[in-house]
Amino acid sequence: MICFDNVSKRYSTGLEALKRISFELSVGEMAFLTGPSGAGKSTLLKLLMLMERPSSGALLINGKNLMRLPRSAIPNYRRQVGVVFQNHQLLSDRTVFENVALPLQISGYPPSETGRRVRAALDGVGLLDKESHYPLTLSGGQQQRVGIARAVVHKPKILLADEPTGNLDPVLSAEIMALFRRFQDVGVTVLIATHDLSLIHNLDHRIIHLADGMLISDGGSASGA
Amino acid sequence: MARNSRLTDLPMRGAKDKKISLADRWKSYIVHHRITLRSAFKKLLMEPVQTLLTVTVIAIALALPSAMFLMLKNVEQLGSGVEASAQLSVFIKKGATSQQIKQVQKQILDLPEVWSVDYISADQALQEFKALSGFGQALTYLDDNPLPAVFLVQPIRLGASGSNQVEQLVTTITSFSAVDEVLVDMLWVQRLSVMTDISQKLVLAMGVSLIIGVLLVIGNTIRLGIHSRKEEIVVVKLIGATDAYVRRPFLYSGFLLGLLGGFIASILLVGSLLWIGQSVSVLAALYQSKFDLTGLGFSGVLGLCALGSVIGLCGAWMAVMQHLRAIEPK
Repeated sequence: MICFDNVSKRYSTGLEALKRISFELSVGEMAFLTGPSGAGKSTLLKLLMLMERPSSGALLINGKNLMRLPRSAIPNYRRQVGVVFQNHQLLSDRTVFENVALPLQISGYPPSETGRRVRAALDGVGLLDKESHYPLTLSGGQQQRVGIARAVVHKPKILLADEPTGNLDPVLSAEIMALFRRFQDVGVTVLIATHDLSLIHNLDHRIIHLADGMLISDGGSASGA
Repeated sequence: MARNSRLTDLPMRGAKDKKISLADRWKSYIVHHRITLRSAFKKLLMEPVQTLLTVTVIAIALALPSAMFLMLKNVEQLGSGVEASAQLSVFIKKGATSQQIKQVQKQILDLPEVWSVDYISADQALQEFKALSGFGQALTYLDDNPLPAVFLVQPIRLGASGSNQVEQLVTTITSFSAVDEVLVDMLWVQRLSVMTDISQKLVLAMGVSLIIGVLLVIGNTIRLGIHSRKEEIVVVKLIGATDAYVRRPFLYSGFLLGLLGGFIASILLVGSLLWIGQSVSVLAALYQSKFDLTGLGFSGVLGLCALGSVIGLCGAWMAVMQHLRAIEPK
């Protein structure tokens, strides 16, 4: 599903954020991306969201090279990827329902179907009763869950999350992680960037460890990154 | 390490209902247009002072060149009326016999450029002069009628090269025997036409610069709107919005601003034309003319509104594209 082949990214400032990264993620796999801040986690996710283009190497999604994707094809590609942002990036002037409906509206779903799907997604994150609230009236954990509902409402094949438990307490973090596992269970490929090692320590998942733009280790959590 | 490989062959929930029919896409497209138009309108109403200022600037910038254009059109109309009635006065030599006069009349009538000929004999001319000049008493002291006989020649309505043809006609008629002199006052008509030509160019130049001004004003207003929605644009772009989707609300705002500007410009013009029109009619009546001011008309109002909306769309387009290019992935 996701294949990094010798991918490097050098910013115009000269900073080399990623150095010859190679790894593969198969369909329905869930992996954590860890490493200290500045290790290149965010850059790696940005490459997957096509917010940045690799400087060299090949980045294949479903066998297609993202490097060769023309500008006009970017929107369509992004519709197949769900993204959970660190600061959830909800639009504060719209209700929870409208926020979650946004990807459907953008992809051109008929309005009749939108309501059903949005409620299914909100039900999935346990916030069905909050659909007419505004994001700022919700707690941090609830906002993050709205962000997750928005990321999965259009049933993407790939789910990316950037520090999804960033400023949440351990109980809420565990809840969010459980949510991600449920998506993985239905075949979504999930990649989660986090520096919260205690959170993933006792989860049996693949961990891709980055440091200084290089891939240090790639394996199970038992090895203890 | 065999992480969940048991799940990889589960049916992809995401793939199954990915297809959205074309009809559904179209329906949702139309709905989005409607929602966007409505919210663009609401946004304008939410900032009434800002909107009013912008619209007024646009209206004035559109009304100014339009008013000058209308003025020119009216002057031209006045000019063309005069040109069409450019009469030639053909003075007959003193002492010409009535036979000679008849011959000249026939010769003039045979010319293809001539529409009609009126004959005023020397006696008639004298009677007319007595009646109109107020020197009636003085004239009775003259032994001799000092006035010549005159043919008033009305040329056919001439085209663009009118003044040339009239000059030719003058030389032809002057060459006839018994014709003393042919008078035609074309010079001021020519001057008028050159002057309207120059003014036309001036109005055009002013119009173009004011239209560019409107473009910048609308672009600036839209840029403010973009700035206040910067985060939103990034988010929707990351969720897979096309440039067109991001552009749409701003295009509608620009369109509405331009449309309102054009409409108010029309109101300003129609109002001032009504106001000025009354005085013009009085003036025309003093000159015994039935001249009426040509107004904007319904098509003019439509044209101004259309011009405003097109400029609004273009200004908004430029502002959004500039922003979208700036946030492009590198």
